[in-house]
Amino acid sequence: MLSKVLSLGLKGIDGYKVDVETDVSNGLPHFEVVGLADTAIKEAKERVRSAIKNSALEYPTKRITINLAPADVKKEGALYDLAMAVSILSCNKESKIKNEKNFIFLGELSFDGSVRKVKGVLPLLISARQLGYRNFIIPYDNQSEARFISDINVYPVKNLIETIKFLSGEILINPITHCIFTEVVKENKIDGLDFANVKGQSVAKRALEIAAAGGHNLIMIGPPGSGKSMLAKCFPTILPDLTFEEALEVTKIHSIAGELDLKDGIIYKRPFRSPHHTASTISLTGGGLYSKPGEISLADNGVLFLDEFPEYDRHTIETLRQPLEDGQITIARANSTITYPANFTLIASMNPCPCGNYGSKDRECRCTAGQISKYLSKLSGPIMDRIDIHIEVDNVTYEQLKSDDKEESSKSIKERVNKARNIQNIRFSKDINFCNAKMNVEQIKKYCQLDQQGDDLLKNAFEKLKLSARAHDRILRVARTIADLDGSENISPVHLAEAISYRNLDRKYWN
Amino acid sequence: MTEFQKFLIFVSQFDLTYNKINQIIENLNGDVSIKRFCKTKFDEGIISSDIFEFMKSKSSDINIKNYLLNLENQEIKLVTQDDDLYPKKLKNLPNNPFFLFCKGNLDLFNSQSLSVVGTRKPSNYGRIVTKKLVEAVSKKNITIISGLAYGIDSIAHKTCLENGGKTIAVLGSGLNEIYPNEHMSLAKEIENKGLIISEYIPNKLATRYTFPQRNRIIAGLGDGVLITEANFKSGTIHTKDFALEYGKNIYSVPGNIYNETSFLTNDIIKSGQASCITCAEDILRDYNIEEEKVKNQIFFQLSLDEQKIVNLLEDGMKDLDFLTKNCDLNINIFNSCLTTLEIRGIICKLPGGYIVLNN
Repeated sequence: MLSKVLSLGLKGIDGYKVDVETDVSNGLPHFEVVGLADTAIKEAKERVRSAIKNSALEYPTKRITINLAPADVKKEGALYDLAMAVSILSCNKESKIKNEKNFIFLGELSFDGSVRKVKGVLPLLISARQLGYRNFIIPYDNQSEARFISDINVYPVKNLIETIKFLSGEILINPITHCIFTEVVKENKIDGLDFANVKGQSVAKRALEIAAAGGHNLIMIGPPGSGKSMLAKCFPTILPDLTFEEALEVTKIHSIAGELDLKDGIIYKRPFRSPHHTASTISLTGGGLYSKPGEISLADNGVLFLDEFPEYDRHTIETLRQPLEDGQITIARANSTITYPANFTLIASMNPCPCGNYGSKDRECRCTAGQISKYLSKLSGPIMDRIDIHIEVDNVTYEQLKSDDKEESSKSIKERVNKARNIQNIRFSKDINFCNAKMNVEQIKKYCQLDQQGDDLLKNAFEKLKLSARAHDRILRVARTIADLDGSENISPVHLAEAISYRNLDRKYWN
Repeated sequence: MTEFQKFLIFVSQFDLTYNKINQIIENLNGDVSIKRFCKTKFDEGIISSDIFEFMKSKSSDINIKNYLLNLENQEIKLVTQDDDLYPKKLKNLPNNPFFLFCKGNLDLFNSQSLSVVGTRKPSNYGRIVTKKLVEAVSKKNITIISGLAYGIDSIAHKTCLENGGKTIAVLGSGLNEIYPNEHMSLAKEIENKGLIISEYIPNKLATRYTFPQRNRIIAGLGDGVLITEANFKSGTIHTKDFALEYGKNIYSVPGNIYNETSFLTNDIIKSGQASCITCAEDILRDYNIEEEKVKNQIFFQLSLDEQKIVNLLEDGMKDLDFLTKNCDLNINIFNSCLTTLEIRGIICKLPGGYIVLNN
């Protein structure tokens, strides 16, 4: 007897169709899975047998062979258990199962027959929908992930028995009701952090506002305890809200990495990732046996915060170059080559010297001049080239900390950011997710024209402040964002002058 | 060319210390020539026999000619004690270097000069003071001499070059081995606009003992020695001692008594070794240069917003947070004012987010 049901496999963040074909023939009882299955799938035979037996269903004491087609693509994970079980059961002539071919099955089986949750349901469903499939049976615990995708019928199941009964028409299961993304976002307020709670630091806040508005990468330099991390943590609160498409992309990646919070089912906040500086290169970029997404992909559409930037392994920092440029990363491994999105804003922070007190108001620095210059030189030119804004942050005094001055809230900053982003959306209407920071040379020429006065200012700045040549385009990009925040069509000298003030590290005054 | 000169050129091929050369010359009993050198038997303690043989093999006229040609190709001029070009200021000093490798404008040796030395890690105060004094002095055509090290040295060189002044860098390494590496481009600039010199063979790497040694040249070449900021541990203490020995004027800038980087400067003022400097005129007076009485203060056209910031800075260095809080300007206007003020040279940004008026 032969039967065939459908399931899905995951390659990168995209799914593909997998046929689960079962052949039950006479012979000594035996169970074999073919089709480049990994260990988790090979072990499925024990789970499937026990699940069927313990669900009081009949397990055929015959020779069972299961093929996962296409046979030449490596398949991983335990998500084929349910499909295998249904396929085996439907081989039975007396089985009442019908129309099993109309569904796509995802789910891992437990010995007692219950269906466990699996990773990556959201990207799989999105891909399958694009491939034209409409009906899905998925684990009950995964249902929150599926509720945002329109035009599909998703039936959550709790156990094998329920699945069989549903397929044979004995019971009805209601498909998951579709949810509108924006409504969920409204329900969930952004928690805790707010710029209103950060006293002083007005220059740093302004720089972060510009970074948020134009998608610029930013580095903060300051002694320990000056509030760099606090500022960085507040940064996501002024970023524009995720659009549904962005949210799906983020959720996809988190779903694959198995980091999805199953309560909401979708990530509606921009991710904030802050890996420790001992992080390995692979943990940042992604990779490993199963080519899992790394921190930079998990920070997609959000913020990657690298605290103590020079403390990271040099090699690790250098690997950020390509993703910073392209907004994606291609991980090539022996078994597969996968491209993950990595469209993040880099917020880095560092001390001015190894001991951290160089240039501090009240503490003595004990590093030698050589040590300081060595510390700063850990950041290579190409990396600094990709960071548009440099700011210095110093300790806040006690008076400032205790002052009753009202600080601006994240909400009102965010309004300005959204306005500037809208201007950019219109400007770059042909490209998706495009912001000022990503302008290429031609676009800079087109959108960042300076008047005579501005030209003179920039020329003077280069001569007097000894800026390095690579600063030129960076300054223009930032100036464009500042003009956008101002709602101005042209870049005025005032905008330009402000942009120049954020290029501290290009300056030679450090030694 | 005298025999002595020839001998010095010959010896300058080898990486020998000042003391070693001195010992060799003493052993030659007055007749200092290459010929005599080759015949003399030296103690193993002075020159080991294999080194002696090696030196002998390089003593032929052709060899020395090639050596000089090689230096010329590298644009290095070799000046020995008997040369006319040898700096007159060094001529009669004890322990003066036998020869100097030079790149650049040798005329600077005979100009009026001031050595500027200090800590490698100055405070913001030290930076400002050094900048201000060097600017005023170098504008009066006085050559600034320093050691191309981090900190005060490089600030002195840079400020001098920025103001179109002449500067001499005395290295603690060979001319081809600039230390620290970072100052390579600065060294190149000094070479073109001023002079860099060293008493070590061009490929010698800097070592612990070469720096105190070169400090005697810095002290000797300058008509005076200015110390803007230094700690007791600093190498500046050697320069000061040499300057005392050579009878040079020492100028010291007083600083905060609690600030480590001002310990030495305050101490030598207290002990009377140095004169206390509070403005450039204090130095220029010794050079018989009158500072114009009417300060050529340029009255900048300041916008209303810029004036607000300048007003706040009038009583000294301020940090960004203080300024933003008190200047009553929007942060974007504030930042842009800072840049325009800085470009026009009215204010100066210092590490740690400090701002100070330039004059």
